[in-house]
Amino acid sequence: MRSLLNFLIRFNNLIIFLILEGITFYLIATGNSYHNTRVVNGIRGITQGIETKINKTRNYLSLREINENLATENITLKTRIEGLRKRDNSLFFSVTDTIFKQQYNHTSAEVIENSVNRQKNFFTINKGSKQGIAPDMAVTSVDGVAGVIVGCSENYSVAMSMLNLDFRLSVRIKSNGYFGSLTWDGRNYRYALLGEIPQHIYINAGDTIETTGYSAIFPEGLVVGTIDDFEKRGGDFYRISVKLSNDFKKLHYVDVIGNLEKAEKSELEKQFK
Amino acid sequence: MINTILRFGLIFILLILLQVLLFDNIQFSGYVNPYVYIMFIILLPVEIPSWLLLLLSFGTGIILDFFSGSPGMHSSATVFAGFVRPYILQIVAPRDGYELRSEPSMMNYGFRWFLTYTLLVVLVHHTALFYLEVFRFADFFRTMLRVLISSLFTIAFIVLIEYYRRGR
Repeated sequence: MRSLLNFLIRFNNLIIFLILEGITFYLIATGNSYHNTRVVNGIRGITQGIETKINKTRNYLSLREINENLATENITLKTRIEGLRKRDNSLFFSVTDTIFKQQYNHTSAEVIENSVNRQKNFFTINKGSKQGIAPDMAVTSVDGVAGVIVGCSENYSVAMSMLNLDFRLSVRIKSNGYFGSLTWDGRNYRYALLGEIPQHIYINAGDTIETTGYSAIFPEGLVVGTIDDFEKRGGDFYRISVKLSNDFKKLHYVDVIGNLEKAEKSELEKQFK
Repeated sequence: MINTILRFGLIFILLILLQVLLFDNIQFSGYVNPYVYIMFIILLPVEIPSWLLLLLSFGTGIILDFFSGSPGMHSSATVFAGFVRPYILQIVAPRDGYELRSEPSMMNYGFRWFLTYTLLVVLVHHTALFYLEVFRFADFFRTMLRVLISSLFTIAFIVLIEYYRRGR
């Protein structure tokens, strides 16, 4: 306290000077419209500069995530190209047809309504029949399978999420090709059950599960998840818990896949059933 | 004491009137704006306490601001000049110091001393005032030219007034 008083006494002129100058600067800045604009603009310039810096830093920090997403997307596209190339090599086409090579048609859409906490979950996307979406098309995201379109209006479509007790998906274990069916037990939104895998084959935790393409809805080889845990529980089949690669709580951009040859395939199969 | 206060009150009123009625009306190419009222700060006694000097500077500036419709600018520059004045007096102090209770006038310390002292105070005041008025550093040298020319005229008028005071 004493030293503070000493300080005040010693610098009293400076303090009075600064106070008076503060008052005059306040008067200048508020009383003259020209100076006012200059001061306000100056301050705005400074804050804007800082904000731009912060924004840039933030973008830089999330580059890693963006990069990962792009990389995954790249991989997916590459596999798709491979699939197309394989079909190109088939022997039995001699007719020139520009569209036959393409079996699947992709449309991107945004999820506008979603849930994970019900027993029968559906989500809504912002594209509908006008944009070429039709029931029974597959919905995937960058991370993997998401669901199946069940109904369309002109501009919106509702898809049955994988997290639905009625959802069934034909999948196989990538390492050995055994296929089974994937269902959801309604408990945890990150896990699904894989059934119909016989107990005599060897499986490991971490094995990749992918789609088979038998259903004509999903293309072959889409990643669904990885084996998280499995147990032998009586009967002939494993009880396998699959960790889904898709996190449905952050489902945002999806890819709707239509199979251009589905009608042809089901027509043919109908003759033998 | 009372005498001094009355005398400086008179000087104050005369200088303000002179400034507002005469010098503010000089419209000469925008470069010549003499601000002679600063002479009041120059003439105040050497031993005046700093806080009083600052307050008087502030008052002078505020009154000028009222007349010229530019809140804050004159008071800011004048307070700055009042703050700097003691240091200027130290710099230009005569060899044997200031006489007791003296006023920094030409009568007491001679023409050369008064000119140097006035030059410094006026330059400080005008620099602060003109740069506050444009409030930017674009046209830096143009503003500096305005400062120099206006200071020249202000100093000339102050010296003239001082001569008149001495002759009286």
